[in-house]
Amino acid sequence: MKDAHEQIIEQLSDYIDGELSPSAHAELERHIDACAECRTVVPELRAVKEHAASLPNTPPGADLWDGVAARLSHARTARVTPLRRRAQRTFAFTMPQLAAAGIALMVVSGGAVWLAERGDPRADFPAVTASTTAPSANVAAGNAEHVDNAGVIDAHYDSAVDDLERTLDRGRDRLDPETIRLLEQNLEAIEKAIDQCRRALDADPANTYLNNHLAATRQRKLALLRRATALTIGS
Amino acid sequence: MHERSLRTEATLLRAQTTLTARSTSEPADDVALAATGDVRAFERLYRANLPKVHSLVRRMTAGRDADELTQDVFVRVWQKLATFRGDSAFATWLHRLAVNVVIERFRTEATRRQRHYDGEDIFEMLPAIATRSGDLAMDFESALAKLPDGARQIFVLHDVQGYKHQEIADLLEISAGTSKAQLHRARMMLRRHLNPPNPNQASE
Repeated sequence: MKDAHEQIIEQLSDYIDGELSPSAHAELERHIDACAECRTVVPELRAVKEHAASLPNTPPGADLWDGVAARLSHARTARVTPLRRRAQRTFAFTMPQLAAAGIALMVVSGGAVWLAERGDPRADFPAVTASTTAPSANVAAGNAEHVDNAGVIDAHYDSAVDDLERTLDRGRDRLDPETIRLLEQNLEAIEKAIDQCRRALDADPANTYLNNHLAATRQRKLALLRRATALTIGS
Repeated sequence: MHERSLRTEATLLRAQTTLTARSTSEPADDVALAATGDVRAFERLYRANLPKVHSLVRRMTAGRDADELTQDVFVRVWQKLATFRGDSAFATWLHRLAVNVVIERFRTEATRRQRHYDGEDIFEMLPAIATRSGDLAMDFESALAKLPDGARQIFVLHDVQGYKHQEIADLLEISAGTSKAQLHRARMMLRRHLNPPNPNQASE
């Protein structure tokens, strides 16, 4: 519960901004004349306001133009393609994103199978040596480059998720009901976030944040499945 | 086809007229040229406006992803430039667009945090964010960055950028009263960094 004077202090910003009615302004002015605390606070608030208005604008530490320029042509293309893409539910990624996502999916796919066969939940995934069906090979075979790239990523992702979900399903009865409940709750939340991100990307396919967010959310789902799968094997 | 080129021409004329009439930092025709796809003209616009846009984004976000968001702003400008009607100065239009990009980011992040609250609690042991405390020499910008998100955004929009409370209320989908209360909260917190209490030495 605020006392009367706190309520007066809360009006001091409105006072210095001229946001009060004439009568309220006059009344507050009379109070300020008689109140030592308010007479201190008012000039301090004015100083903050004046200082804020005079803050210098400074450029970033590094030039950002290359990153902007790299996205300009794509941004123009993206403006005319979202409706066509909607039906295919495919997405455009930059090459570094593709490479990173491709490697991550290979690691997880290989790891899931390795975990299921070897059954050591504590061990980390083996080094990437097995998967020679790299995304780049498939990409090279495609005609529409970026659409096919996204398709390859989708396929690898779906395959990795399927592998993990099958393994998890086989070991499901080894998990306690509370763990299963939490797992399902989290998977559902992640899946919703992925859907939301896909919808946002339909409208703005070139958005770096959304692309990164989608890749990160997918990684999150894979990481969660991987951890849950390890629990079933280890218990 | 004709209609489109006429529209483009009208956009160019409006942009040129407006920019000639107003004293902005960019050459009058760069907006018009960039709207037709001239990347060099757009780069000049970028360079002329980068400090303002980056400072705005950095202050609103407390520095989080400021570089990436600044790039997002300029890509969005490139996409939307043809819709710039010249009703306001280009700089004003650009800053409003930048504010919208930042607000969108905050909304997306807020949704994400809501959706993943359980998962982060249960399945991840996130390292605590290291914070520096006891730094009395913290400058104003650092103090600004430490404000709560809502108070900081409103302070930046009102006191740094000069937005009115009703404009802020519309942008952030809050009431004007909330905007006023958050602004006052921010100022009260920041005044300590401009006026550190030191009553004993004042009389010397």
